[in-house]
Amino acid sequence: MNHIFLQILTGLQISALYMLIALGLTLIFGTLGVVNFAHGALFMLGAYFAVEISSQFGFGVAIIAVPILLFIIGIIMERGLIRFFYERPHTDQILVTFGLAIVLGEVMKTIYGANNLPFDIPKWGSGIVRLHEYLPFLEGFVAYPKWRLILIVVSFSTVISLFTLLQFTKFGLIVRAGMRDSQMLAFLGVNITRRFTIVFGIGSVIAAIAGLFGGPITQVEPEVGMHMLIPSFLVVVIGGMGSLPGAVLASLILGMSISFTAEYAALQQIIIYLIAVIILLVRPRGLMGKKGLME
Amino acid sequence: MNKSTSIFSKYPIPIFSLVVLSFPFWFEYIGGYPGLDTKILIWALMALGFDILLGFTGYLSFGHAIFFGVSAYATGLMLKHFSPEIIPAMFIAVIVGTIMAFAVGYLTMKRSGIYFSILTLAFGEMLNSAALSTLQDITGGDNGLTIPDVKPVLFGIRMDGLSMYFLAAAILILGYYLARRIATSPFGLILKAIKSNQERLEYTGIDVQKYKLGGFVISAIYASIAGSLMVIYEPYVATEYLHWSTSGELVIMSVMGGVGTLVGPMIGAAFMLYFENVLSVPLGEEWLLVLGIIFMAIVIFLPGGFMEGLARIKKRYFNKSNKEEK
Amino acid sequence: MMPNNKSISEAMLDCYQVSKNFGGLQALSDVNLRVKEGTVHSLIGPNGAGKSTLLNVITGMIVPTHGSVVFDGKPLGNVSPHEINQLGMAKVFQTPAIFPEMSLLQNVCIPALAARDGAFKLNMFDRGEGDPIESFAEETLAEVGLQEVMHSEARFLSRGDKRRLELAICIAHRPKLLLLDEPTAGMARHETESTIELLRKISKSGMTMVIVEHDMNVVFALSDIISVLAQGSIIAEGNPDDVKGNPKVIEAYLGEEQE
Repeated sequence: MNHIFLQILTGLQISALYMLIALGLTLIFGTLGVVNFAHGALFMLGAYFAVEISSQFGFGVAIIAVPILLFIIGIIMERGLIRFFYERPHTDQILVTFGLAIVLGEVMKTIYGANNLPFDIPKWGSGIVRLHEYLPFLEGFVAYPKWRLILIVVSFSTVISLFTLLQFTKFGLIVRAGMRDSQMLAFLGVNITRRFTIVFGIGSVIAAIAGLFGGPITQVEPEVGMHMLIPSFLVVVIGGMGSLPGAVLASLILGMSISFTAEYAALQQIIIYLIAVIILLVRPRGLMGKKGLME
Repeated sequence: MNKSTSIFSKYPIPIFSLVVLSFPFWFEYIGGYPGLDTKILIWALMALGFDILLGFTGYLSFGHAIFFGVSAYATGLMLKHFSPEIIPAMFIAVIVGTIMAFAVGYLTMKRSGIYFSILTLAFGEMLNSAALSTLQDITGGDNGLTIPDVKPVLFGIRMDGLSMYFLAAAILILGYYLARRIATSPFGLILKAIKSNQERLEYTGIDVQKYKLGGFVISAIYASIAGSLMVIYEPYVATEYLHWSTSGELVIMSVMGGVGTLVGPMIGAAFMLYFENVLSVPLGEEWLLVLGIIFMAIVIFLPGGFMEGLARIKKRYFNKSNKEEK
Repeated sequence: MMPNNKSISEAMLDCYQVSKNFGGLQALSDVNLRVKEGTVHSLIGPNGAGKSTLLNVITGMIVPTHGSVVFDGKPLGNVSPHEINQLGMAKVFQTPAIFPEMSLLQNVCIPALAARDGAFKLNMFDRGEGDPIESFAEETLAEVGLQEVMHSEARFLSRGDKRRLELAICIAHRPKLLLLDEPTAGMARHETESTIELLRKISKSGMTMVIVEHDMNVVFALSDIISVLAQGSIIAEGNPDDVKGNPKVIEAYLGEEQE
């Protein structure tokens, strides 16, 4: 019982991070039609900023400042670069964001070096939680790192906030409509460009949250962006490109599969890819992919 | 354009051969060093094959390290456990690479180009993880595959230095000849039509899926041969051969050189290796940053790469003489 | 097989009780359409009547909810676009679908290759130049009057010429049935007239055609048979004179204007 519970918890924690990065990716893809290879770099920037700001002013300041900074960076990225590529072939979009990912990674390398930057967890988040004290069905002593629990809570809160925003606001309505058919919206005279710039910003903010809370768990080094991007891409593809619930579902599947294969290291390293292959053979559009998108 | 006047377009194979065969004798005067020339040819071969995929069909693979790497491991294992003779090693390596290409191509080419880019990247990572952990008993894991005391030979002739260079050169020249034949063949025409208008092509009675897979496999065979040559050149399989960064470098050099031109990606390969190994000395640690910026600038302002740059320069300065000839 | 004789001609295309439902919206209901060999058969009707849906069902782009399509004696089930084309059906799209970066000659060589070599042939080392395919493509371009500019890139053509090129791509295959989705949309008057001439010439060569068209001048100039679709059903069918005077047709069109 204890064992399975802990594995589920670990699975949730692994999913939490992939989910955040994948949500931003699929949100941006669904609305703007852009596959952003620099999205991992946004996560990396978030983690670096979090380290830098929290060491100077404390983690509390970082929680406010990093998302704002990344929002601004996201907007600049979209207005200054990505928007010139909407009319160009998809390969060009991939190439330019891939180039940007390299440049951002190298800039961080130049400033901070190639090694892992230590990320001090704030005092209120360090230590362990004695889970057996709260959950009567656990036997004996069961503890889990507090920070990882916080990550799970933050991640799911972010997902719920995003869904609420999209489900219950007029802005959300337009974004959801745009994910279905952006040409139709343009036809109806809705200024999608400005709203979708904000979508890019929102995607960046989610990446910032991932960097803030995930940085201490992954690592803070220039390669981490690409490292996180690849599994997140898988999440997006398995869930169905452009599908937000699909991304949530797929990240849970991948997180759990990694967690539950922990005892078989040889399998654990490739399990997510195997699952991806199987799902794509059975359902080429992904779990919740819609017909039409990405055909 | 002045197609009819360019000497290169009149005698492409002889001129290309001349450049490739004379390369080691003048390379050192521009800062090159022995061995780098062979490496350039090997990467050029891979970039040439990559152009048959990216340049013709427009499909951007982020997983060509798969074929380079898998073939490198196969070659390494053959040299280590079977024989230092390179022909069986290369033969098996290419077969393994081709089988991988069919499997990966079948799984990734069913749908759009974006999908393809993402999935090839993911498959590359799968094999990379597998090589580093699941299969580490065979591949040597994080240390790479060491092949101590093996000196690869071709019919008993030791392959190193110039002999290795000319082996690579012969294969590259043949590869270029074949790529040009493919480019002008009906098969090549249809590959190019995939990039131009895939839907129209389907409604023209062409089984696009099979042509795409064909183009993918051919380009993977080039990458497999390159991977095999790399291990023959340097009997050691580095873990980075299977890493996504190898695929990434291939993409960068092809795009910088100019996709769809066959020659462009090879120039891109030469530029990239020259940059990485020669110009990186004065630039220091930041060379990759500079390269990344150059790459982005090319994608943004010069999507046709160096070849488009050359064409623009030609147009500007030789336009006048061109008109007179007409 | 039946002798190829027009007087007792078989149906080239037979849509039998075709219905299509888009999530509650009935786009087609019980459509029966019989296109006889060698005829020019037009589909007309107000916007949203289901013409494009029917055309897409015929080409296999849309799978009907009910009913079946039989083409040249073969039922079309779940077949891919290239298979349908290889069976002898070609389609001219509403917006000209060509290979913009290629020369006109190359544009037409591709369908010619598809006709000669089938859907796939690993033809890697044949020289393209001097191939008999090229002279065949050249002849086809001459048929649509684009032989003069056959070496220029297709993207530089005018809209009308792009349409001609697309026609050449479609007839290079020598299809049994040619589908045309608004072949004169967006054309100037003189372009429309020359397109009518061209289509008439092609039809005289014995090719069966199905045309979806808004421009009644084109429809009446070319059609042997006209089927009128309204709200997903065929409400009238007959030769141009029959259809012109049919009160149901007038009502269907007037109904549209009142909306």
